[in-house]
Amino acid sequence: MDKSHLLTDMEMVGFIVNGYHLLELDLPEGLNERIAGRLDELDHNPGDAIADEVPELWQAVEHPAVKGALVSLLGEDYEVQGHRHWHCKQPHTGHMSWHQDSTNSRDTRIDRLLGLFYPTDITPEMGPTIIVPGTQFRNAPTDRMATYTNIHGQVPMVVRAGTFALTHYDLWHGTAANRTSLKRHMIKFLFRRVRDNRVPTWNHDPEAMNVPTAWGGKRDDPKNVLSFGNPIGVGQSDHYKERQIRWKCWNNLLGVADATDR
Amino acid sequence: MSPTPSTPDSSVRQRLLYLHARTPSVFSEILGYTPVEPVKDYRAEITADVPEWPYSTVHDALVDGWQIIQFPHLQAPFDDRDLDIVGYEFILQKLEEVRDG
Repeated sequence: MDKSHLLTDMEMVGFIVNGYHLLELDLPEGLNERIAGRLDELDHNPGDAIADEVPELWQAVEHPAVKGALVSLLGEDYEVQGHRHWHCKQPHTGHMSWHQDSTNSRDTRIDRLLGLFYPTDITPEMGPTIIVPGTQFRNAPTDRMATYTNIHGQVPMVVRAGTFALTHYDLWHGTAANRTSLKRHMIKFLFRRVRDNRVPTWNHDPEAMNVPTAWGGKRDDPKNVLSFGNPIGVGQSDHYKERQIRWKCWNNLLGVADATDR
Repeated sequence: MSPTPSTPDSSVRQRLLYLHARTPSVFSEILGYTPVEPVKDYRAEITADVPEWPYSTVHDALVDGWQIIQFPHLQAPFDDRDLDIVGYEFILQKLEEVRDG
């Protein structure tokens, strides 16, 4: 595979800390418009068969940048799972509350990802997906999130047509209301790790973490972002736990047998 | 929403404010802000553009006349490894004359 599309150490650390990575795909001219046009005309939701109804979607899923990011995060033999869904947010519909998908069987590794593809520009008024960076290692029953609305540091997926967002499966997400007369399209794909790494599967520099710890200093290198990144400003106890989880996750991705906390 | 003089279509009602703070201290910074206004059809919602919150801490809200009616529950089993919900939930109220519409 073309290694130019693999993630860097900094991008990998960014994913571990924030739980998402955005790719703006250089798709063939007119492809986004064709996909959006076909979705606009669908009169039913085909569920898992959405990519059969709109096969052009595979050009996004199989784009070298998407494959490079998936190999980096899930290993070379990652699996594209059979479940996928067209999330069509109809005009003038309300917000969707925060949730984590599925039940509360979570872990602190990177084994499952959501891929969210947007074939049109998404404005703040169109009901964008909204995510809460750094929440992917939390195990929180969705019902317990019902009293939250806006959260410090939340990120709306206000994106350009052709954006493919990879998120950790357990990242907290919801949507804003769609206040326009347009359908907002997002097609969700699922990806899964098949086996543990034995070696790093991204563009890894073995010296990346060999830098001084920046207590209170500049933190724009992989080691210090992994240790000190705090995207929504959680309290000290949670932050210390996050740090342990991140280092364990990082070591697991490096292929360190029986990865432990650092 | 400002207090209004009592009229046939207004009454004293309970305004609610859910604040999720970094710690159980009322002086710690707020991570989550959810106002609930007691008017028909009102819905608290997630928004793509987040308006600036009027308070940085729970204490700021107390200074503005809000009263805490529920403090964060701290009796839950403590685990020093797992993470669950974000922040510590304070529920506050103001009893004010509120008019529909």
